[in-house]
Amino acid sequence: MSAALAVLWKDLLSEWRSRDRVISMLLFSLLVVVVLHFALPPDAGSTLRAGTAGLLWVAYVFAAVLGMNRSFALELENEALSGLALAPADRGYVYLGKAAASFVLLAAVQAATAFAFALAFDVALLPVAARFAGIAALGGLGLSAIGTLFAAVAVRTRQREVMLPLLLLPVLVPLLLGAVRATAALLDGDGIGAPLRLLAVSDAIYLIVSFVLFDFVLDE
Amino acid sequence: MTLAIAARGLEKRFGRVHALRGIDLEVPRGTTLAVLGPNGAGKSTLLRLLAGLSRASAGSLLVGEADPARARASDRRRVRAAIGYLGHATFLYPDLTARENLLFAARLHGVADARARADALLAQQGLEGAADRLARSFSRGMAQRLAIARSLVHDPAIVLLDEPFTGLDPAAGAALELELRRMHQEGRTLVLVTHELGRARGLADAAIVLARGRVVHRAATLAELDPLALEAGFRRGLERTA
Repeated sequence: MSAALAVLWKDLLSEWRSRDRVISMLLFSLLVVVVLHFALPPDAGSTLRAGTAGLLWVAYVFAAVLGMNRSFALELENEALSGLALAPADRGYVYLGKAAASFVLLAAVQAATAFAFALAFDVALLPVAARFAGIAALGGLGLSAIGTLFAAVAVRTRQREVMLPLLLLPVLVPLLLGAVRATAALLDGDGIGAPLRLLAVSDAIYLIVSFVLFDFVLDE
Repeated sequence: MTLAIAARGLEKRFGRVHALRGIDLEVPRGTTLAVLGPNGAGKSTLLRLLAGLSRASAGSLLVGEADPARARASDRRRVRAAIGYLGHATFLYPDLTARENLLFAARLHGVADARARADALLAQQGLEGAADRLARSFSRGMAQRLAIARSLVHDPAIVLLDEPFTGLDPAAGAALELELRRMHQEGRTLVLVTHELGRARGLADAAIVLARGRVVHRAATLAELDPLALEAGFRRGLERTA
C-alpha cells in the first residue's frame, strides 16, 4: 500500500508544480460546456432539459480522457515508466496510486465544470449538490479506474492520443448509462437507486480487473 | 560457486531483427562482469532482459533464484527487490526535487527510513547542495549522479549499470569508480555495460564482448582480462558489426 501512496504523492506533487494537466482538463471541459451552450438552440426547452445530464457527462468524459493521456505522458519523460515497472511492490498498488491521483484531479475539474454547466444551462444543481457530488464521485472513480488501465496500454503505442479514446469509450458504456441516468433522475426528482447500483457495480468491476491486469500492462 | 545470474541460449527478437542470439552467461555472486561491444551490439537489450524490463524470446534466465520476467509474481517481486538498474534514461521526474525523486524511489521500494537513505545518497553523490533543486534544472552530469543514487536507493544485491560514466566529469567518474569498487568489496554482483576498455579492465573480474547480438569474446578470469586480448576481442566485434 505504501507504493500506492508514494505514486499518489508523486503525481499530485508533480501536478502541483506544473499544473499543466488540471489546467488543460479544466479548459477543455469548460470549452465543451461553452460549445454545447452555443450549439444547442435557445428554445430547446424541455427537450434540452432531458438531455442535460448526458451533456454534462460528455464534458466529464472528454476531460478525463485528456487527463489520463497526460498522466502517463509524465511517465514517458526520462522513461520513468520503467522505474515504476522495476518497483518490487505489487504493480496493482502502482495502479491504485495512479488511479487515485487521476480521481483527485478529475474531481476538481468535475466540480468546476458542474458550476459552469449549471450557469450555462440554468440547471438547479445547488439544492441537490450533495447527492450530485456522490454521483459525480462514483462516476469519476470509474472513469479514473478504467481510464488509468487503458492509458497505460495506450502510452506505449504510436498513436496514443487516438488510441486511448478508441479503447476506453466502448468500455465506458455501462458507467455512462449509470451516471447519466442517476444524474437525470436526480435533476427530475426521481429515485436514483437503480442507476447508482449500476454505477457502483461498474466501478467495482473496473477496479478489480484493472488492479489484476496492470501487472501485465507494465511489461514491455 | 553460487551464481547471481545464469543465462542459457538467451535470445531476443524484435520482429525479424535478432537483437540477441544464443547468449550463455554465468555471473558468480559478488563478482563484476563487464559487457563490452560496439553500438548496436545488444548490450542494453541484454541488461534490460536481466532487469526483467523485457522478456526473452527464447532461452532461460535466472537472476538470483528466478526469471525476472517469467517467474511467479511473488518471485518476480523478490528479484526486482534485489536489482538496482541504471539505464540510458534517468527515470527521474523533472518536477520533483533531487531529494523528492530519491524519496519517491525509496518509498516505492519500501525502504524503512526513506529520508535518511535519500540524504545519505545525496551526500554520497555530492549533491547535498542541490537536494532541493528541481531535477529539470540539473545538468546531464548531475542528473546522471542522481540517477545512480536512485538505482542504489534500496541497497540492491545485484547492480546493473548501462554506461554509468556517461555525462560524468572526471571527478565524478573517479568517484563512481571508487563507489563501484566499494560495492564489489561489499560482495555485490555488478554487471557493467561500457565502451571504455580501460575502466572495464580496472573494475571487472570477467568480461564479454558482444557484436550483432552474439558473444564474440569471453574473458572469464582476471588473467584473461589482458588488455591486448580484450582489445582484440573488441576489434573483432567492430569488424563483425561493420
